[in-house]
Amino acid sequence: MNDPRYCGNSDILMSYLYEDGDEHERRAFEAHLQGCGRCATDAAELRAVRKDLAAWTPPETVLDFRVVRDPAPARSRWAWLTPPPLPAWAQLAAASLVVGVAVGLSGLEIRYDQQGLVVRAGWSKPAATRAADASTAAKPAGADAPWRADLVAVQEQLRNEWRQSLPVSATAGQGQASPIGSGKAMSDGEYMARVRQLIEASEMRKDRDLALRLTQVVRDMDTQRRADMARVADGLGVLEGRTGAAVAQQREMMNYLVRVSQKQQ
Amino acid sequence: MTVTDEELVARSIAGDTESFDQLILRWERPIYALAYRQIGREEDARDIVQDAFLRAFRALPGFKGEAKFSSWLYRITLNLCRDFMRRARRAPFAPTPEGRDVEDMASAERSTAESIEDILTRQDLSRHVARAMGTLPEEQRSAILLKEYHGLTFQEIAELQGCPLSTVKTRLYQGLTVLRRELDRRGTGPERAEGSRTP
Repeated sequence: MNDPRYCGNSDILMSYLYEDGDEHERRAFEAHLQGCGRCATDAAELRAVRKDLAAWTPPETVLDFRVVRDPAPARSRWAWLTPPPLPAWAQLAAASLVVGVAVGLSGLEIRYDQQGLVVRAGWSKPAATRAADASTAAKPAGADAPWRADLVAVQEQLRNEWRQSLPVSATAGQGQASPIGSGKAMSDGEYMARVRQLIEASEMRKDRDLALRLTQVVRDMDTQRRADMARVADGLGVLEGRTGAAVAQQREMMNYLVRVSQKQQ
Repeated sequence: MTVTDEELVARSIAGDTESFDQLILRWERPIYALAYRQIGREEDARDIVQDAFLRAFRALPGFKGEAKFSSWLYRITLNLCRDFMRRARRAPFAPTPEGRDVEDMASAERSTAESIEDILTRQDLSRHVARAMGTLPEEQRSAILLKEYHGLTFQEIAELQGCPLSTVKTRLYQGLTVLRRELDRRGTGPERAEGSRTP
């Protein structure tokens, strides 16, 4: 019986199928299924799909994740020499600064003329040209360049950032143990201890893997053995059948011979 | 007495790593199963499980307990799976390599109860289901995985997927309908299955 409240209503169908939702509504839908063949077929087919889904199992695997804390690194007496880590933008700015200064100092020359594209550093110019350049550039190289002021500003900003971050990171670095993987330097002893720990963990994992593989091999052998046994049993059955047939045939032949010999007598 | 997830979370936040280890032990299998069914590769699924717990551990102080710990973990895992698939630009699939399926599926208790034919049939069906699931859009697949294999309620899935309850039901319905069609096409569908079930 077609009922617009239920027919084609996926909401109610899903609530019914997964038994999740208003119970009264589900019961009403169940009653509707008694009289509506289309909805009943839909529900039955989707229920069958759900049964098929149960066949999908993930493969067995070894999972032994644990929280491992790195030992807190002891502060070296030279630690104060190591600058605190800079943020990415500051590192980028510093790199640009270095490249800019290097380009400025090398007197990079880029020219495109009839000879093609020419990129030349200051020290690769002929001596005469260099002398000429030196005379024309008596004042400091790039002293009036527009980027000079920007470079100075960036340099100043970097210094400020560095100064501000120093006390904060110094206090944070002492009391707080980084949970997993800290970027601080480790002494040789700690490295060795860490390496040993990692090797031990790796060996344990390999042992477990090996045990799992062995179990799988044993299981596989057992499966194969059972398959072979079944095949052998089948073969024996066939052989037995054939042997039985041959025996019957021989018996018939013997009977025939006996009958013939009796007749001749 | 079993310690609840909430208690273990509280202890972990207080700095007790063993409690977090217990949470890992409790949830690593379901999380692995979810990741494996989402991306279809055992090694990658293991990596995602590790990454999920690492992220959870780091974000634990910010976990307010508004949702269940498991739902929170499922959300992290699904996000990681999504990132993985986007990064790899590949659709999920689950091709269990030939020759390994019998080992994987014939676990100790099953091997005594099931014949080789049963195992092979189930292996075949499992492969078909995996391939059919791979054809679904991500939201439908996630909804089906969370409902079928992890038993989440419609409400929990809706919160996890950030959509209304009715959308979850629609996704489930559409996903199951596509699966029915796909399994029918491969000859392992409900009609055949039902036929073989009825004596």
